[in-house]
Amino acid sequence: MSSVTEKLRNMTKKDVAAWMMNNAIFIVLVVLLLVIISISPDFVSINNFRNILSQASTRIIIALGVGGLIITQGTDLSAGRMVGLSAVISASLLQAPGYAYRMYPNLNLLPINPDEPAFQILLPILLAASITAIFGLINGFIIAKLNVTPFITTLGTMIIIYGVNSIYFDRPPYGAQPIGGLDPRYMKFAQGSIYIGDFAVPYLVIYAAIVTVLIWVLWNKTRFGKNIYAVGGNPEAAVVSGVSLVKTLLIVYTLAGFLYGFAGSLEAARVGSATNNTGNMYELDAIAACVVGGVSFSGGIGTVAGVVTGVLIFQVINYGLAFIGVNPYLQYIIKGLIIITAVAIDTRKYLKKK
Amino acid sequence: MKKFLVLVLALAMVLSLAACGAKPPAEPAAPAEEPAAETPKIGVTIYKFDDNFMSFVRRAIETGAKDKAELVLNDSQNNQATQNEQVDMMISKGVKSLAINLVDPQAAPTIIEKAKAAGLPVIFFNKEPDAAALASYDKAWYVGTTSSESGVMQGKIVADSWKANANWDKNGDGKIQYVLLKGEPGHPDAEARTKFVIDEVKAAGIEVEELELQTGMWDSVKGKELVDAWLAKHGDKIEYVIANNDAMALGAVSSLQANGYFAGDKFMPVVGVDAIPDALEQVKAGTMVGTVLNDAKNQGGATLELALNAANGKDPLEGTQWKLDDKKAVRVPYVGITKDNLAIAEEAYK
Repeated sequence: MSSVTEKLRNMTKKDVAAWMMNNAIFIVLVVLLLVIISISPDFVSINNFRNILSQASTRIIIALGVGGLIITQGTDLSAGRMVGLSAVISASLLQAPGYAYRMYPNLNLLPINPDEPAFQILLPILLAASITAIFGLINGFIIAKLNVTPFITTLGTMIIIYGVNSIYFDRPPYGAQPIGGLDPRYMKFAQGSIYIGDFAVPYLVIYAAIVTVLIWVLWNKTRFGKNIYAVGGNPEAAVVSGVSLVKTLLIVYTLAGFLYGFAGSLEAARVGSATNNTGNMYELDAIAACVVGGVSFSGGIGTVAGVVTGVLIFQVINYGLAFIGVNPYLQYIIKGLIIITAVAIDTRKYLKKK
Repeated sequence: MKKFLVLVLALAMVLSLAACGAKPPAEPAAPAEEPAAETPKIGVTIYKFDDNFMSFVRRAIETGAKDKAELVLNDSQNNQATQNEQVDMMISKGVKSLAINLVDPQAAPTIIEKAKAAGLPVIFFNKEPDAAALASYDKAWYVGTTSSESGVMQGKIVADSWKANANWDKNGDGKIQYVLLKGEPGHPDAEARTKFVIDEVKAAGIEVEELELQTGMWDSVKGKELVDAWLAKHGDKIEYVIANNDAMALGAVSSLQANGYFAGDKFMPVVGVDAIPDALEQVKAGTMVGTVLNDAKNQGGATLELALNAANGKDPLEGTQWKLDDKKAVRVPYVGITKDNLAIAEEAYK
């Protein structure tokens, strides 16, 4: 702490300007919080911050998937539809035994006795995440091997996955109706909390924290992580220095698919039902959060901390603006302005370096 | 990692700053100390703000809340996850009751769980939750309509107008040869309206013959295209055009106009449902026989009355004109609209 204050004291004007430029994103977040709090002081409560964190959780998981492939100069429009596909698959396999409109009336994956530990809950979740991982692999294959641009590839798979999901979803006996009546244990898997004394930590926050740590290690401490940045920063140079472009892209997209799938399973349980439209447009939220968090669309630049902050900024905006009662249509305008402002400031620091 | 440190420091600064100005975070026991709030806060979510019909319901809620309650209005953007988050936010904000227009009726149990945990009454409106879900919480109610009733009302308009205009029976066989524009297949309103309109006409002792029945997906353009095709195929053999909603009825009217109807003595009766302003114009002009008013004003009004009573800890129906049915639901009646009672529908949009 003291060394930080020491540094602050020794700063010159120029240093301050540079510091502000380098931490623009964080300053945006702080200013936002200050504005919201000055309008509505009761925004400062443990409950609000817990809500914001748990609401940000699935979005962090999705954004970390998208973030990785944006660093490789990619993008993924199919993320939201993969979330939806996974939500529908997991929900359909985990409906409560007593519920009248079950997609599989005779399927009982979980033990009938509600007190028995139900580790089987992980099976449908892993299955759903594996299916979306395969779609991710397909994305990666088309991009790396067939040299179709990521935008077009994932635009195509986005539509395809929606079609696949709708076919699975809209089937007899009950047709196109939301998959509800989820098993309470499955809902608890996403909606529950661990109590440390009286303090509740939502499971969702813990899942997001685990994923964040794993991705941080992957991006920063492994050879594969270095390859992602190398491929994104300068693909030709990366290939020359022996990095396999194809292999890196395949893994990045497959991993992203897996993360979307995991997030989708959580999303269904968090909401309490799933339809073929679950997850619609989530990819744009995730991409926006990444770029606001300093992940560069031209590749090679981006950090886990940035992505997480980007998601948090959006969640603070969503939650905070609704909390202080800003007109919903005005909220759209503010969000749009923040995306552009944050990225405009952020870009300047890289422009200077070049 | 350095950035994380910066973030944590910054957050700590903000929080300490804010803590100076703010009261310590209120724990559940505290609200009693608040300067006796003159009006209770009521949390409202609308499934989609730019839905035409819901915008009128919303207006009725806002009008009703004037000086009586402080509304926390939310646009759920047609996304159930967003709506759940808004409910968390509103509970955290300390609302006294919730008025929820579900995005996905199946998600009611999750909302009920949240309300139960906070001990808040919840009024669902316009999208009906499962009866079992509603029964699971003593402080949950529903305000809506009986979806079959719109079909029944439309059937009455068809039967009454048919009996009053003998010359509409162009081939003189005593039967109505009708074409029907259906809404989205599987949509409960589309299925109910399609069935009950015809049942009602038959119940009035009129024989019917279905010439065509196709889905126009609630859409004006699709409605017009279908009627274009049907007119080409059947011409004046068609004696009545029935549409599940006004948008498709308007499409039918424009197709009929393009085919020379409503000029001179060429006429075709058209009915719709919804009583949207455009359709009311057509009824006034005589190009539509009638439509059915889904009473936004009373739906919004009833929702607010119940939510306000519940927020004040009273019986939800106290001092209102409404009654609960056996599913803990208030059913706001539909109103059949023809040239004779247009004023009722026009009033609903004020």
